[in-house]
Amino acid sequence: MDQVVQKPAEIPGYTLAITAESLYLLNLLAIPGLAFLILLWLFFKYENSSPLLGACHLRQTFSASIWAGVLLLLVNGVIFAVGGYQTPYTWVIAVLYFTICHTTLVLLGLLGLAKAIAGQSFHYPLIGPTC
Amino acid sequence: MLYSSQAVAKPYFIAAIALFVGQILFGLIIGLQYVVGDFLFPILPFNVARMVHTHLLIVWLLLGFMGAAYFIVPEEADKELHSPKLAILLFWVFLIMVVLTLLGYLLVSYATLANLTGNRFWPTMGREYLEQPTISKLVLLIVAIGFVYNIGMTIFQGRKTVINLVLLTGLIGLAVLFLFAFYNPDNVVLGKYYRWWTIHLWFECVWLLIMAALLAFVLMKITGVARELIDKWLYVITAAVLMTGILGTGHHYYWIGTPEYWQWWGSIFSAIEPIPFFVLTVFAFTMVNIRCCEHPNKAATLWALGTAVVAFLGAGVLGFLQALAPINYYTHGTQITSAHAHLAFFGAYAMVVLTMISYAMPMLRGRAAANSHRSQVLEKWSFWLMTVSMTFIALLITTAGTLQVYWQRFVAEPLPFMAVQEKLVVFYWMREVAGLIFLIGLVVYVISFFVGGEDKGETSAGVN
Repeated sequence: MDQVVQKPAEIPGYTLAITAESLYLLNLLAIPGLAFLILLWLFFKYENSSPLLGACHLRQTFSASIWAGVLLLLVNGVIFAVGGYQTPYTWVIAVLYFTICHTTLVLLGLLGLAKAIAGQSFHYPLIGPTC
Repeated sequence: MLYSSQAVAKPYFIAAIALFVGQILFGLIIGLQYVVGDFLFPILPFNVARMVHTHLLIVWLLLGFMGAAYFIVPEEADKELHSPKLAILLFWVFLIMVVLTLLGYLLVSYATLANLTGNRFWPTMGREYLEQPTISKLVLLIVAIGFVYNIGMTIFQGRKTVINLVLLTGLIGLAVLFLFAFYNPDNVVLGKYYRWWTIHLWFECVWLLIMAALLAFVLMKITGVARELIDKWLYVITAAVLMTGILGTGHHYYWIGTPEYWQWWGSIFSAIEPIPFFVLTVFAFTMVNIRCCEHPNKAATLWALGTAVVAFLGAGVLGFLQALAPINYYTHGTQITSAHAHLAFFGAYAMVVLTMISYAMPMLRGRAAANSHRSQVLEKWSFWLMTVSMTFIALLITTAGTLQVYWQRFVAEPLPFMAVQEKLVVFYWMREVAGLIFLIGLVVYVISFFVGGEDKGETSAGVN
C-alpha cells in the first residue's frame, strides 16, 4: 500500500493554531498571566483576519482561558471563603476540586494541541464557542 | 505476525495476566485488612500480603515487557529472534523463581525465608520492592542478562530502528540498574540512597523508555503513520525522560539524611518530570488524529490512548502534587503517595502492557489482525471498568491522604497515626468497592479472550 504522506503544516493558519494552544497550556502550567496576555494580544490582532484553522483555535483557547481563570481562581476563592482555612474538609474539597478541574483543563489543552498539530480544528466541550 | 519466533511472546503474556489477577486479589485482601484489621490473621498478615501485592506487580510487568520485546524486536529488526529456545528457557526459569519466591513469602515467616535462602551471606532483603531473597534476585539478574543478550543479538544482526534502539536502551538500563539491588551497606542512609537507583531509575526513567517504545510501535501499527514521524516524537520523549527522570531521583532524598541541596535539585527536576507524559499524550493523540481508525483492532487503539492519558494523570499530575520539597514535607509516606503509586503504575505500565497484549494476542492466537467485534466490545468494557475504578481508587485515597496530612501533620496538636486511620475508614471501604469493580473489569478482560466470532482482518494500516 502506498504510504500516505501527511502535511498538515501546509494548511493555512497551522502555526497560529499551535501557538494558541501552546499559550493556553503555558497559561495553565508555566507562566500564568503572561501567556494569557500574549494570547489576548493574538486574539485581538488575528481573530478576524486569520485563516479558518488559526481563528478556530484562537477563539477556543481564548474562551477556555477565561473559563479556566473563573473555574480555578474564583471557585477556589469561594471554597476557602465559605469553608475557612481551619477546616480539614475545606482542604479536601479545594485539593480535589483544583486537581480535577486543572487536570481536565490541561487535558483539553493537550487534545487541542494534538488536533492543531494534526491540522484539525477542535471544540472545547462546554467552555469553547463554536468555530 | 511476520516471524514465527514472535510466538515466544505468548506464554509471557499469559503468565503476566495470571499474575496480574493474583496481584489484584492480594490488593483486595490488604484493602480489606485496612478496615477489618484481623481479616485472615495470622494466616496472612498485612505486611506479607502487601509484599506479595507489590512483588506480583513487578514480576507481571517484567513478564509483560519481556513478552512485548520478543514480539516487537523480530518485526522491527526484520529477522527471526536470535534464540527462541533461550527465550522459552528463560521464561520457565523466571516463572519458577516467581512461584518459589511467592511460596516462600506465604508459607514461612520472612525471617525464616531470609535464613533458608542464606541472606546472611549476602544481605539484600528487607527493603520495600526489593524484598526478594538474594537468590531470587540473582535468578532475576541472570534472566535479565540472557534476555538482553537475546534481544541485543537480534537487533545487532538485523535492522536498527529507533523503536528497537530506545527499547534496547531501556532494557539494558533495567538490567544494569538492578545491580544496585545487590548493594545494601550497613549505613542506612547510603542503603536508601542507592536503593532508589534501582527503584526510581526503573520506574521513573528506564521503564518509561520501554513504555514509550512499546506505545510508539503500537501507534505506528494501528495508525499507519510514517515511521519517520514516530521516530521524531520518540527522540523528543526519550530526551525528556532522561533529562527529567535521572535528577528527579532527588525527590526521594529530601528526608533520608542526604545533603540539603537535594531539596532544591529534587524539587526542580521533579517539577519538570510531567513533561515526558505531557509529550506522550500529545504524541498519541496526534498520531491517531493524523490517521485514525483504519486498523480493525479498535480495542488496542483505546488502550494506547488510555495509556497516555492515565499515565499523565497518575505519574504526571499526582506525582507533581507531592514532588516539591515544601509540600512533600507534609505528604511524605501518606495515602497521597499511595494514590500516586496506584494510578501511575496502572496508567504508565499496566496499561501499556495491556495495550501490547491487546494488539499482539489476536495474531499470536492465529487471527488476522484483531479479535471479533463481540470480543472487542467486551475488552472496551474492561478498559472502562478498570480505568474508571482505578481513577476512583486514586481520588479516594487522595481524599484520605489530604485528611491524614491535616490531622496527623498540620494541626497544632496532631493525632496519633491509628486515631487518624480510624477516621478514614469510610474512604477505605469505598476504595475496596472500587477495587472490586476493578477486579470485575479484569475478569471481563480475561473473558474477552475466550469470546468467539469472526475475527477482523488486516487493513492498510501497519505497513511500516
